[in-house]
Amino acid sequence: MSADLSIVRGKQTLGQRILGFFSRSVVNIILIVVAIFWLIPSVGLFLSSLRTVGDSSSSGWWTIFLEPTRITLENYANLLSNPTITGSFWNTIVIAVPTTILVVLIGSLAGYAFAWMEFPGRDWLLIAVIVLLAVPIQVALIPLAQMFGAIGIFGSVLGVILFHIAFGLPFAIFLMRNFFMQIPSELLEAARLDGASDLRIFFTVVLPLGLPAVASLAIFQFLWTWNDMLVALLFSNSQSQPLTVAIQSQLRQFGANIDVLSTGAFISMIIPLIVFFAFQRYFVQALLAGSQR
Amino acid sequence: MSKILRTKLLLPVAIVGAVGLTLTACSPGGETPTDPTGNDFSGQTLEVAAAWSGDEQANFEAVLDVFEAATGATVNYTSFGDQAATTLGTQIAGGNPPNVALLAQPALLQQLASDGNLVALNDATKAVVSANYAQSWIDLGSADGTLYGVWFKGANKSTMWYNADIYDGAGASVPTDWDDFLAQLRIVADSGYAGISIGADVGWPLTDWFENVYLRTAGGDMYDQLTNHEIPWTDPSVTEALEVLATLWGTDLVQAGAAQRTFPETVTEVFGANPQAGTVYEGDFVAGVITGDGNSTVGENALFYDFPSINGSAPAVVGAGDVAVAFVDDEATHALMEFLASPEAAEVWVPLGGLTSPNQGVNTALYPDDISRQIAEALAGAETFRFDMSDLTPSAFGGTTGQGFWQLMIEFLQNPSDIAGIQQKLEDAAVASY
Amino acid sequence: MTQTVVTPAARETGRGDADRLSRRSRRRAILIALAFLAPALVILGALVVYPIVYTLVRSLFDASGSTFVGPENYIEMFRRESTFTAIRNNVIWVIVAPVACTVLGLVFAVLMDKIRWSTAFKLIIFMPMAISMLAAGVIFRMMFQESPQLGVVNAGVVAVHDIFVDEAAYPGANIRPDSGFAKISGAIVSDDAVNDGSTVDVPLIGIRADSLPDDVVNAQTAAPARAGEITGTVWLDFVRGGGGVNGVIDSSEAGLEGIRVEAVDNAGNVVASATTDAEGRYTITDLEPGEYVIALPPSNFDQGYQGVSWLGEAFITGVIILSYVWIWAGFAMIMIASGLSAIDRSLQEAARMDGANEWQVFRRITAPLLSPVIVVVFVTLIINVLKIFDLVYVIPPGVSKPAANVIAVEMWTVSFGGGNDQGLGSALALLLLLLVLPSMIINVRRFREERSR
Repeated sequence: MSADLSIVRGKQTLGQRILGFFSRSVVNIILIVVAIFWLIPSVGLFLSSLRTVGDSSSSGWWTIFLEPTRITLENYANLLSNPTITGSFWNTIVIAVPTTILVVLIGSLAGYAFAWMEFPGRDWLLIAVIVLLAVPIQVALIPLAQMFGAIGIFGSVLGVILFHIAFGLPFAIFLMRNFFMQIPSELLEAARLDGASDLRIFFTVVLPLGLPAVASLAIFQFLWTWNDMLVALLFSNSQSQPLTVAIQSQLRQFGANIDVLSTGAFISMIIPLIVFFAFQRYFVQALLAGSQR
Repeated sequence: MSKILRTKLLLPVAIVGAVGLTLTACSPGGETPTDPTGNDFSGQTLEVAAAWSGDEQANFEAVLDVFEAATGATVNYTSFGDQAATTLGTQIAGGNPPNVALLAQPALLQQLASDGNLVALNDATKAVVSANYAQSWIDLGSADGTLYGVWFKGANKSTMWYNADIYDGAGASVPTDWDDFLAQLRIVADSGYAGISIGADVGWPLTDWFENVYLRTAGGDMYDQLTNHEIPWTDPSVTEALEVLATLWGTDLVQAGAAQRTFPETVTEVFGANPQAGTVYEGDFVAGVITGDGNSTVGENALFYDFPSINGSAPAVVGAGDVAVAFVDDEATHALMEFLASPEAAEVWVPLGGLTSPNQGVNTALYPDDISRQIAEALAGAETFRFDMSDLTPSAFGGTTGQGFWQLMIEFLQNPSDIAGIQQKLEDAAVASY
Repeated sequence: MTQTVVTPAARETGRGDADRLSRRSRRRAILIALAFLAPALVILGALVVYPIVYTLVRSLFDASGSTFVGPENYIEMFRRESTFTAIRNNVIWVIVAPVACTVLGLVFAVLMDKIRWSTAFKLIIFMPMAISMLAAGVIFRMMFQESPQLGVVNAGVVAVHDIFVDEAAYPGANIRPDSGFAKISGAIVSDDAVNDGSTVDVPLIGIRADSLPDDVVNAQTAAPARAGEITGTVWLDFVRGGGGVNGVIDSSEAGLEGIRVEAVDNAGNVVASATTDAEGRYTITDLEPGEYVIALPPSNFDQGYQGVSWLGEAFITGVIILSYVWIWAGFAMIMIASGLSAIDRSLQEAARMDGANEWQVFRRITAPLLSPVIVVVFVTLIINVLKIFDLVYVIPPGVSKPAANVIAVEMWTVSFGGGNDQGLGSALALLLLLLVLPSMIINVRRFREERSR
């Protein structure tokens, strides 16, 4: 894409180039201001994680700059030296990875059917699926606890994963369907004329073209599962508690908890950010593919 | 911030032992009434759940360790924060409740018992309980005449905590009664500090205020009647208690900005690095918050006095606590309940601090400091003892964030002049919930 | 599209054969579609639709779940004032939050293309999504705390304000009650007017020992006033332990230096003023004969601007929506950026070559190509906002909780938060589902249009 731009730029007049420089500076300044404002809460949370709870309760986090000697890594040391916290990392991955893969796969299959297949009642079925987005997770707690109890998976990781898949699917289907709609129909027709089956078209044409959507869906599904407390805590057992439970078990019943919460927030952010960077590559690839087409 | 946290969606945790349920009695040993060591539960796993986290969790696990060492059983502890009802309800629906849970609300014990989810104490445990507990605690652990609960932890909610540095600086002294209390707060206020810090972020500390005042102005019998809604909230006795409260609430003795202050923040206002007020009211757990904050030292500049007497009322204590109940009917679970009822179990935690035991068999010399011993003795020595009213009323009225008793006391703190209006609203809320 | 998949061979055969073939191929196509949909439909049916049915049935029973009450819960629901507050707030949320997030996400995604540090920018906007809701709620509550010592927003507001206002000598000082003065909008004013030639002593309290100057001296009685003068003493009327006589200058009480005292005439004009000396004495001179009120202006005691009560009833929903936008703009941005990256860039380049400016390129080419993704983002946000729960549960302090209420929180409070009335809670959950329908019906039409394209 940069190559394309340089060609375009080569044809610009000097005036256009100066105009372009200024508009780029304006964009840079706007986005820098936005970025600073967006960072304030995160920075506040991060600085709070470097202070003792007593300091946090008596002065604001920005005063840390006045007394840099009071910065402490004690909160991190406390949480990371706790075996339940470190052990729960793995449990969280065991829950989040299968959930993410299955939601993406099942959601994409259904999304493809909704986008490119003809069957009676399709639009209404799609609307019904989207309405399911609105089902608050809380209404499912008791009925699903009963159901999982009856079939013997209450308290298991499987139950947690199923719960997450069910409540992740409506969004996944909706997103993938709308994304697949963008695929030029000629590409699909061509594949069909070559005699490819639907399954083959799905895996060789549709899914690769939908990679940016798959990547963003995967990121968010992973994130939501990773950060979930309600479901994992009610539906998993004490042996497989995820990070969110482990952190919550460190909260004091009557005291201020900003130290535990802020530190926990940054510890539990590590893996989602790694995932984010991993999938970031797919955005770039897709982008290049798009421009080369 | 903690009440938010307690409140939040930190829903918590569960319990649930995958294996716990399948336990069958396999212990060959006979039982000795006060000591479970005669049992061998090797290979069995028990799940225990309570609201405790942090230090309290660590201390309780030390208690459970003793049981594990004695019986060979494995005991897993999980914390459900303040979501006891939701967590247990979900697990019962899923057919997988913990073996033992500790509940803070007697109302929840009543509800679970009437739904048939609880297992009554066996004779051995009953014997240990009646040997060690006062009748009022036994009654609180019973539903319809059946004993289900062991009160493992008690709390004295009639303690007024003060910053001795500020009191000394102002020349204020420990008050003798309510009027003197107001006079001492006035002295503190004149010296440039707020007399008392009150937090209205959530309602439970405010209901505790009311309960302490009402127990002193109306007495224990009226307190029981109001608890059971046998008298309406529009009763003149309620008017009187609210009038007494209004002599403090809404005056300039209370630190400004109460509306947004959380309970831990009120403690910081009195005992933090930069104190702004002289006094804070709440139960014995204030000591833990002070220690956690780290700027004041309990027993040195952080001291307490009993909630002041009103119109010559005798020493009275509003209390609270955590009651252990069993969901599983097997020998290991019964042995654990029996152990929790014994003084030996409490004596593991008592020296570690933070446990006020209602168990009369506990040696008070074991309390780690004078403050905790005084608190425990005040709890045991009160002429009138009543459990926290808001924990006894239906939780839609007495235990729900944002409505009922909690929210209306917040409203009353905002506007203490409208006593009749608040009484009517309390009555309306009570009628809807009972 | 699938229905048009008719092989060339089939086209050449006879008419009856074609019908049969196309009927068979259509049945086949439906079966294939079903196969693609089956995993999703089975899971959704069992784990999402079943709870809805359960909820529907449950809403017809009372709190205990054993007594059938028919529509009683629905009637009760609309009898409660809190339901209407919740609906009103949900409407505000739906109008503001999805639009704000989508517009910001779109702007960020489009502008991001034009900067070199787009990965860093993306990370900054995305990061709030990776912070747990609880921690995010706590940090927003902290930021908007009323106390300027703890809340960064009010610290900023107060800092700006204080540039223009001097610090008072005795912030927070107050008048001894029942001493013949009143505090009127920050100023301490005597109840009665006095003639010139009088002495007016002003007893103050509420000043901390450690905020007095080091060289503080005991208060002294002022010299008697002559005609045309008013004299008096301003002193700290406080003895440790509450001793001494209130309103009387006791021997050990401190004089307050540097307090401005004003004489105000009947018309309310300040005609003369004086400042107290180390012993707290003041002398106002050059007064015309007549009656004057003695006033100590607020500048002596001003505690300074204390900031805005962001978490009070008036602003609370705004603050929570702000925190929501902070979190979810990243979602909109990533989604729209992924849509952008899938767009065929050659169209845009071609338009630019043809001399179209950036706005025209965006409006005519980029936006229409993006619309399927924007619809996903917008609809998802609308629905997500309707069931907003955690932030509203965490951020507001108790006093403003009722003002910030939304349906999902009301439902939680009623069915789990202590009320344990799952009958009423179920009715509220279904109300939530019903509220989604209008936005869905608008979308039905959209889907049709897309189809017919």
